[in-house]
Parts: sequence; C-alpha cells; structure tokens
Amino acid sequence: MPITVTEEISARFGEDAVITLLTRDETPTIRTPREKVVAILQYLKSDINMPFRMLYDLTAIDERAYKKEQNGHKPYDFTLVYTLFSFERNEFLRLKTGLHGEFPTHDTITHIWPAANWYEREVYDMFGIRFNGHPHLQRILMPRTWEGYPLRKEHPARATEMGPFKLFDDKVDREQHAMQFRPEEWGLKRHSEDADFMFLNIGPQHPGTHGVLRIILQLDGENIIDAVPDIGFHHRGAEKMAERQSWHTYIPYTDRIDYLGGVNNNLAYLLAVEKLGGIDVPLRAQVIRIMLCELFRIASHLVWYGTFAQDLGQLSPVFYMFTDRERVFEIIEAICGGRMHPNWFRIGGVAQDLPKGWDTLVKNFIDYFPRKLREYDKMVMKNYLFKVRTKGIGIYTLEEAIEWGVTGPGLRACGLEWDMRKKRPYGGYENFAFEIPVAHNGDCYDRAVVRVEEMRQSLRIVQQCLEYMPAGDFKSHHPLATPPVKQHTMHDIETLIHHFLNVSWGPVIPPGEAMVCTEATKGWNSYYLISDGNTASYRTHIRTPSFPHMQMIPLISKGYTVADLLSILGGMDYVLADIDR
Amino acid sequence: MKWWLTKAGDPTGKVAGNTSMEDVVQQSVLFSSVERLLGWGRKNSMWPFHFGLSCCFVEMATAMTPKYDLARFGAEVIRGTPREADVMIIAGTVFIKMAPVIQRLHEQMMEPRWVISMGSCANSGGMYDIYSVVQGVDKFLPVDVYVPGCPPRPDAFMQGLLLLQDSVGKEQRPLSWVIGDHGVIRPEMPSQRERLHDHRQQMTQFKTPDEI
Repeated sequence: MPITVTEEISARFGEDAVITLLTRDETPTIRTPREKVVAILQYLKSDINMPFRMLYDLTAIDERAYKKEQNGHKPYDFTLVYTLFSFERNEFLRLKTGLHGEFPTHDTITHIWPAANWYEREVYDMFGIRFNGHPHLQRILMPRTWEGYPLRKEHPARATEMGPFKLFDDKVDREQHAMQFRPEEWGLKRHSEDADFMFLNIGPQHPGTHGVLRIILQLDGENIIDAVPDIGFHHRGAEKMAERQSWHTYIPYTDRIDYLGGVNNNLAYLLAVEKLGGIDVPLRAQVIRIMLCELFRIASHLVWYGTFAQDLGQLSPVFYMFTDRERVFEIIEAICGGRMHPNWFRIGGVAQDLPKGWDTLVKNFIDYFPRKLREYDKMVMKNYLFKVRTKGIGIYTLEEAIEWGVTGPGLRACGLEWDMRKKRPYGGYENFAFEIPVAHNGDCYDRAVVRVEEMRQSLRIVQQCLEYMPAGDFKSHHPLATPPVKQHTMHDIETLIHHFLNVSWGPVIPPGEAMVCTEATKGWNSYYLISDGNTASYRTHIRTPSFPHMQMIPLISKGYTVADLLSILGGMDYVLADIDR
Repeated sequence: MKWWLTKAGDPTGKVAGNTSMEDVVQQSVLFSSVERLLGWGRKNSMWPFHFGLSCCFVEMATAMTPKYDLARFGAEVIRGTPREADVMIIAGTVFIKMAPVIQRLHEQMMEPRWVISMGSCANSGGMYDIYSVVQGVDKFLPVDVYVPGCPPRPDAFMQGLLLLQDSVGKEQRPLSWVIGDHGVIRPEMPSQRERLHDHRQQMTQFKTPDEI
C-alpha cells in the first residue's frame, strides 16, 4: 500500500504535526503547527523520497472575518499557505499554518527556497505579516509610502472610499524620493577593487521593458554585475476585487490578468469555481473552450514572437506577426464579439453557442497559418543575428528552473517534458493528441524554439476541435451555472428563479477551497479560491507564472551585457499584469 | 482632366494638353497664413510618445501594424523620449504608484503637447475602482481626447487621434516662444455622443450574434 505524504510527515514529525483538511480539489492539504512548518518544508524539499522540489506558491489568508468554522476548528487570525509541487509524484501539496495576533510574525523559508523571497515580500506587503530572517523585507507591489496592508479585511477596497486623488508637487517629490534607488539597501557595493560600478535605472517607462517594469542594473562597463527588478507599477488589486465581485462578475477581471492570454485566464478561474460548485461542463462547451484557449495561445505567442524579434533589432517581423494575430482575432471576434478581453466563458460553459460559419473561418486559418510559420522560421529563427543574440544567453539549468518556480515554455526549454495539459489534464485536454515540444539548452533561443513549436501544436488542437466538434449543450444545466440558458426561463419556473437570482445576486458557491493548475500561455496559472458560502469569494489568490520568472532576472542576467538583458526579457515572455496582478 | 506629356530630355516639347496659366498657378502656389501652415504641419506629423501602461497599449501598438497602418496619418513615428514627442497616449490603467512617473513624463514633453486618454481605466478608472488605481488620468493631467473602450479597438484609437488632429490643425498658437500665457485658442470639441446621436438612433437593423 503506498504511503501518502501525510503519513510520511506524521511518521517523522509526530501525529500532532498533521491535521488533514478537506478541500474541494484533490490537492492533499494539511495544517501544521507553526513551530514545525519550516522543518517540514525542509524535509519535503530535500529529505523525503520523491521530494517536492518546487515552491509553487506562497500566500496568506486573513481569516478574521471568516464566519463559519473551517474544517472543524476555529479559524486563526491569519493563515499562511504554502503550495509545493513534486514532479516525481506529479502532485501538489498544500501546507497551511495558522497565526494569531493582529500583526503576526513568522519564520522565513528563503533559506530553503530562494524563490520564497518575493512571495514573502508580497505577503508582508498585502497582510503586514513579517518574516523573521528575510533578507529584504520591503514592500513589493505597493509604493513604499503606502499606509496599510490592502488584502487585510479592514483595508478599503475602493479608490472612491479613500478620498479624492490629488497629486501635489510635494507629493510627487516625496514619491520620487521614495523610489530613489539606494544600492546599500540591497547590499550592493558601489566599487570593486579596480572599478567603480554604475547603477543604471531602466524603467518603469522604457520601450524595452514591455510595460511598466523597473530594473536597476549594477554595471561594470557593459557587464551586468547584479540586477534588481522593481515591480508593482501594474498592481490592479485583482485579488481584492474578487472579494467584492460576485463569482460571475469576476470573470471579466480574469481576462485582464494575463492580458495577452484572453480566455486562458477565464478557464483557470472557472475550473476552480466549477470544482467548488461541483459543476460538470458539457462536452461541447469543453471543446469550444479548448479551441478558444489554443487560438489565444497562438495570438499570445505571436505577440511574443514579433516583439522578441523587434527587441533584438529586427524591425519587420512584428508587422507580419501582428497581421497574423489580426487573423486570429477575426475568428475570436466572430465567436466572442471581443478582441483582447472577450470575457466569454461562463460558470458551467460558455456564453453562447458558436455562430454559423465559424468552421469556415477556423478552417481558413488552419490552411493559412503553417505556411506563415515556415516563413517566419526563415525570417527569424534562422537569422544569423537572431541566433547570435539568443544562443547561450540567459541560461538556467533544469535544477535552477525548478528551484525558482519556472514553468511553461521556460521549463520545457531546459529539457523537461512537462505540460500540464498532458500531465494533469484539465477541462477536456485528455481527449486531444498533441506533442510537448522541448529543447535542451535552457537559453533564450531554446525558449523561442519551444514557443514556435507550441504554435504548431496549438494549431493541431484547433484542427481537432474543428473536426470533432461535438453537438450538445454549450452550458451545463446545473443550477449554479450562470446565467442559466435564457430560452428555458420562459418555460419552467425553476430556471426562471435561478436566472433571476444568479443574475441579480450572483450564484452562491458552497464553502470550501479549490485550485486547478492550468498551462496558460506563459506557464502555470491557477486561481486559489476560498468560498465561505457566499455570493463572492472570501479570498482569491492568483498564482501567475510571470511573477517567479521575473524574480529570476538577477540570477540569469549576471555576467551578460545590457543588450543581452533585452534578449533575456524578451525571451522570457512576461506580461506586467501577470506579474503584479 | 488636363494632361500633357514631356519627352525625355526635352522639357519644352509638349505632346498634348491644353493647360492654362491659371492651372499652373493653382498647382504650384499656395496662399496661407503662417499660423495655418504650422497647424497643418503639426496636424499631419503628430509623433506619439512610446508610452504604455497596460492592455490598451497592445491595441495602440496594433494600430501601427499593417492592417490599421497609422502611418497613413503621419503618427507612426514613436518616440522613445518624451522630449521629442507631441502626443502622449495614456494607454492603460493609471496606477497610484505610476502617477508621479506619468506626471514627470508629461512635464518633460515640450509644448505644444497633447494627451489622449485611451481606454476606460485612463478615462475614469473604468472597472477598476480599487485602492491602487487613480480614477481617471484627468485627476492630474489635462486630457484632450477620451477614447472609450476596454480596450478600445485600434480603429477607435485612430478615430480619437483623427479627432485630435482635426482640432490641432485648427488651433491658434503663438508662432514663437512666449513667456507666460500662450494664449492658445482651441476649437470646440463637441461630444461625439451628441453629434452621432441622431445617426445612431436611425440604426434599426442589427446583426444577431448567431452569425458571423
């Protein structure tokens, strides 16, 4: 009989170290006393058989307002949630530890996983929980001058609750002063034995950063000695927003997390909601969803393809790729009516059935696109300068990738054949035939190779959707499916009531917690939802792939030049909203 | 239409045509005031600042690609520095953390300068009435044109730019540097909603979402 991870922990740390919690997803979840959690995490990472080598996520919950008793015990004031992943077991593990007090402190785990650094800073920034022994516990998303901790329940959510916004000259000066970079704060030296270092500020407004990102470089001549990314200029409070929007009306906000990934975000969110509600999605809706997700994957990769080539000095590819992206958008628009943010998936299905003539559009695109991809291979991938500027640049090994939480194409470029659509299929992906493209050098070029091949695989999936599109409902008949199919409302009172309630108040999702990890365009994306049985979520945490990727910048840019930094940033394919949420 | 052919190497040898002196003058002489000439020049070479905040910027960049081709209106020359730019497009959400930076970038732009607020977030905060977002860029910057949408389509952005161009072409400004008030006279920019109201009211046939 296989021993579960819970049993292994209790065998090592005693019976009282583990309280197994029930969750709506299949993720094993345990609560441990706060004294033991760091030791357990250390054990899980390095000593256990088939270890949990990746720190997938770290977040907190403010439980002071949670009314119902959770899993049989009184809630703590705050709970820290560590989510780990083991590739050997193909399993997530969620560890929770409760904290008491208004502003509790806890021990850091940055010595176990360096990737915990930013996560702990985020928890501090959002909840005011301090971590002992953290190397640089500073605000990460909010400005340093900010007062209060936004995700605490007493912090106002709306800007309109906080008084009118005024930007006086002295306020601008104060903020600019707070943004000033002081190398000593980060333990960076101003001189070496034989050189004075230069500190170069890039961003938050810079054409090469693909958005409002700030990176400060410590330079010796052209060479990067160290880099300090400064994020948070794009923090839109998406997690706080989830606490006041109904489960249904939060869907448009998910569109805007990875704003190039469109409906991929909808899917990650809705899979978790449907898990909470126990809703099965009809087959047709699943296939429609997958088709759109893959079309969006192509659109997102096309943006990356063009802008990456542009970052490296090729001016024309971006015009070709954006033109093709328009062709994808022609299909998206015909089906959803929107372009970048279609907001088209619904709880239990999709908003509407496919329009007449969708198949011709998709077919035309499938016929057209492979030829263009071959052309782009010649134009970009085989270009000598492109190769010189990306091969051997920004290398990380597979161990480093796992250590730092790298997922998606960045992970596959290190030689690990790991795609969540294949390894932990969700939403119907198990029914499709496609390959997982991999590359082996872990440099910028290989990341590009993986993405380019992924577009071909996505096209294969779209083709299968076209050929085998099943007939049937586009939305579930489950009472929580929102909004219920309109044409039934005039025939039976039950649907009418559901329609009225779900539209006016929003559906009431049963209490519990769930998370479904999806392979989004940039890596693993998931929504960790906690419901207390209300019309809005109690806590929503969005784990985005770009956040840990960006944290890796200092590690992978050291020793390269400033020009290489642009290759590294471009090859990473991040979106600022996906980092800061 | 009148036309003529000239043999190569022989500028005097007309083959056909019956043009008059009046036509020639019409084609080669232009009467204008310097003010209007400058306005015409400004209008047709508005250089946008390479500045983007979030999703809207992607649509703004799309407007510069072949399908939309902003170059037709002389506004594709994106400038990396605010000092060379004429128009700043606030494309995206105005974050509180970003506001002082935006303010400074705007100050660094040379007069005459214009601001287009692109998208609901920049117009009013849009769907983000949340602690980290300024409820509209006009809380601290003067805005010339608001483009609605979330994000606006590239076409909508281009319409906004054209409206601004029209207004810029008619603007009256001092011809040289002035200390103090510039005494700029701007044309009225009527609300598009009111202007198009009657036309829109006449639309009764709409496509259903069941067909492409």
